[in-house]
Amino acid sequence: MPLDNVVFWVFAPISVGSAVAMLFQRNAVHAALFLIVNFFTLAVFYLVLGAPFLFAVQIIVYAGAIMVLFLFVIMLLGVDRDESLIERLKGQRPLAILLGLGLATEMVVAVRAGVGFARRGPANFDTLVNKGGNAAALSRVLFRDYFFPFEVTSVLLIIAAIAAMVLAHRQQKAITRAEQAAAEEESAA
Amino acid sequence: MLKVIWLVPALPLVGFVVNLFLGRRLGRLAGVLASLLMLGAFGVGLGVLNDLVTLPAHSRVFVKHLYDWISVGSFHVAVDLRVDPLSVTMMLVVTGVGALIHIYSIGYMDGDPRYGRFFSYLNLFCFFMLTLVLAENFLLLYFGWEGVGLCSYLLIGFWFERPAAANAAKKAFVVTRIGDTFMLIGIVLVFLRFGSLDFARVLVSPASSFGIATFPPPGVYTVIALLLLAGAIGKSAQMPLHVWLPDAMEGPTPVSALIHAATMVTAGVYLVARTHVFFEVSGVASAVVLIVGLVTALYAATAALGQDDIKRVLAYSTISQLGFMFFALGMHAYAAAIFLLVTHAFYKALMFLSAGSVMHGLENETDLKKMGRLAKVMPITATVFSIGALAIAGVPPFAGFFSKDQILAAADQTGHVTAWIVALVAAFFSALYISRLIFLAFFGQDRTGRHAHESPPVMTVPLMLLAVGAAAGGLLGLSAVTGKLQGFLSWDLGATAEPARGLSDGVLSAISVAVAAAGILVGFLVYGSGKIDWLALRTRMGSFQRFLSKGWYLDDVYAAVLVAPGKSVAAFLAYVFDRRFVDGMVNGVGVLFQRLASVGRLVQTGLVRNYALAFLLGAVVIFVFVGLKF
Amino acid sequence: MRTPIAYFLVVSAMLFTVGTVGVLVRKNALVIFMSVELQLNAVNLALVAFSRMHGNLNGQVLAFFSMVVAAAEVVVGLAIIVSVYRRRHSANVDDASLLRW
Repeated sequence: MPLDNVVFWVFAPISVGSAVAMLFQRNAVHAALFLIVNFFTLAVFYLVLGAPFLFAVQIIVYAGAIMVLFLFVIMLLGVDRDESLIERLKGQRPLAILLGLGLATEMVVAVRAGVGFARRGPANFDTLVNKGGNAAALSRVLFRDYFFPFEVTSVLLIIAAIAAMVLAHRQQKAITRAEQAAAEEESAA
Repeated sequence: MLKVIWLVPALPLVGFVVNLFLGRRLGRLAGVLASLLMLGAFGVGLGVLNDLVTLPAHSRVFVKHLYDWISVGSFHVAVDLRVDPLSVTMMLVVTGVGALIHIYSIGYMDGDPRYGRFFSYLNLFCFFMLTLVLAENFLLLYFGWEGVGLCSYLLIGFWFERPAAANAAKKAFVVTRIGDTFMLIGIVLVFLRFGSLDFARVLVSPASSFGIATFPPPGVYTVIALLLLAGAIGKSAQMPLHVWLPDAMEGPTPVSALIHAATMVTAGVYLVARTHVFFEVSGVASAVVLIVGLVTALYAATAALGQDDIKRVLAYSTISQLGFMFFALGMHAYAAAIFLLVTHAFYKALMFLSAGSVMHGLENETDLKKMGRLAKVMPITATVFSIGALAIAGVPPFAGFFSKDQILAAADQTGHVTAWIVALVAAFFSALYISRLIFLAFFGQDRTGRHAHESPPVMTVPLMLLAVGAAAGGLLGLSAVTGKLQGFLSWDLGATAEPARGLSDGVLSAISVAVAAAGILVGFLVYGSGKIDWLALRTRMGSFQRFLSKGWYLDDVYAAVLVAPGKSVAAFLAYVFDRRFVDGMVNGVGVLFQRLASVGRLVQTGLVRNYALAFLLGAVVIFVFVGLKF
Repeated sequence: MRTPIAYFLVVSAMLFTVGTVGVLVRKNALVIFMSVELQLNAVNLALVAFSRMHGNLNGQVLAFFSMVVAAAEVVVGLAIIVSVYRRRHSANVDDASLLRW
């Protein structure tokens, strides 16, 4: 049994299991922790699939920065409030599961029809495609073929930052000078 | 001058536009401007006449093409002005009498707060009237026709502060509209059957055609003729659509003179004369014209006898005279009808303006019972009025004698002896009511109770000019066969043949003069001699007097038979059909969708997760669909 | 590498389904948002797997972009959740149902 096969069969159950476990957590912090576990398993898959750069990015950006942001907001909104798992919307949960299973079935059928369960990738991926290291190869593609989208994403990030500031900024109530004077008078009295 | 014929309607139009916008600033100049423009139009008209008679006698027609008005498929209508003897005659009457009435109005309307507007309406009326008579096709004629109707409405209701004036304007508009609707149907029918609205193509006698087999059967001619006649009856206030004209006297007196005596009401006569081809083909239509005219002439002459309002007497007199014209048209004596139209324009305008002069002197008093002996203080008015009265009564040598005599003669000489006798009775009543008017207003005892005065020269000079016309107008057509006007009109209307049967002209003239003299004599005995107490006679015959003064109660009959049911039908439609059924349907549709929406909107729960579920459902379904396709 | 590519795709499909169900059944806006992140990552896995299958790096580049956009999205999304929480003192999405009949 080749090594990558072993790795897959070890991490695939962990990956799916952690995702399912996330669903059943009443506490948002626990859910976030299970999601981090899931992200780690995905990083491992990336490594197996010949994407060591994404492996690093996944751990640093996703499992690191983004999940820390999540936890930060969870703490901000009150970590002690557990969510009730009782569903009040009639039929929402069974329908969701039913449709979810339907979607999964459809996707598996699509994979079977489109890719097939026996197909494997080219054997010389690391020597041919990732020539000179994955990071160098990836940056060649990125800066050669995808330069413009790359620059656009930088703009997107700046906009997102500004948007977050605008949304989270607590609006001070604008008052006129007369109102200010009246308020001061009141406080003085 | 023929090519500048467009100036004739254009000059009054200029006056209308200028007075409409600047009338208030111009003050008295508004009237002077309007009168000068009308005089200019009359001058141009004379020039046109001068050129027209130089044309060869067999083609005395000239069409001035101004522009293409409507061009849709096979439907072509141009704004063309037609110059031929008939239209030129009408044009000269309109501009000539119109100009004098404009001048008179300068004095009569003096001090009215809407002085400028009055003259702008008057000019607008002249524009439309000239368009009507100069039109070369039915649609342009109809444009002028409706335009004069509009001006009539505006001018009857000129003093719209008075409810009576506003109601009279409304009545005139609605009643004439009945006839106009039939006329429009007739015009549509003309286009459908002839493929054209041009007089030159439609008004061709089938008898004189060059074998072109496109003429419709005679039945079509009858229908079209009757439809056009309905329009003429409405406009010319013939039975049974005459009821609007007596009420129209609520308008200013120059308006009554111009529109409701001299010009607009004669448009019906003009229309029948213009389309006489139809009436010649259709004996039925001619008979209808004859009967309508005769009945109206007799009816209105008797009704005039019962009126106490000086203007209402003249209004019924106008209806009666128009009846005579229709009577003549019904006998195919078109030239005689137009001759009476011309002389009537002179003397009836003269009498209306004199009546206005009387009202001017008596602070707008119109009741004959409160007049009398006015000849002393208003000599000029009394003289010219008497000339008009003698003309209308048919005393030689005044204009009315010749015109009326020719119609009466035509009746006898064409074999309509019964009609001739009825017309003589009507002529007797004409002489009677007009002598009653004269003796009550200008002679006998003074019942005014106030100090009357003669009118200023700006009013009396036009009166004198019109009096000349009323006195000497007969010179235009001394004889039905050899008269100047009749000869001039023969290109359009055909020459009058030497009478083949009946009494001779001399005998007929003697009879009609005798009838007129009898009428005047009776009038003098009852109202002028002082020997008979006419007021006592009147109370003794109270119900008959009321019957006449109410115009045979026709208004009341219409109110009961037509207006009341019409109102109840309208009330039913408005309050039951519209409110219950139509509104119910509209509201029902609204309620239906309200109900549907109140169920359908429950889908919008506002819960994001519901929406997401619907989203997923859609995704799964589309996935299945795409999967099945490949 | 001997593991068939389809295996990774099936895992990706399962993760995506779990994420979808998570969005539908959870009420806490933060957990729903985490489920969305799970869906995104499932797609990323599929992209990297396809990259491997086709023997080029386009899939990886796309996954990389996806991560960048996800980062931006998380920032804005969390800001929205914070501002909604401030106003309504709740992170329960069922409480924010003003846009109903």
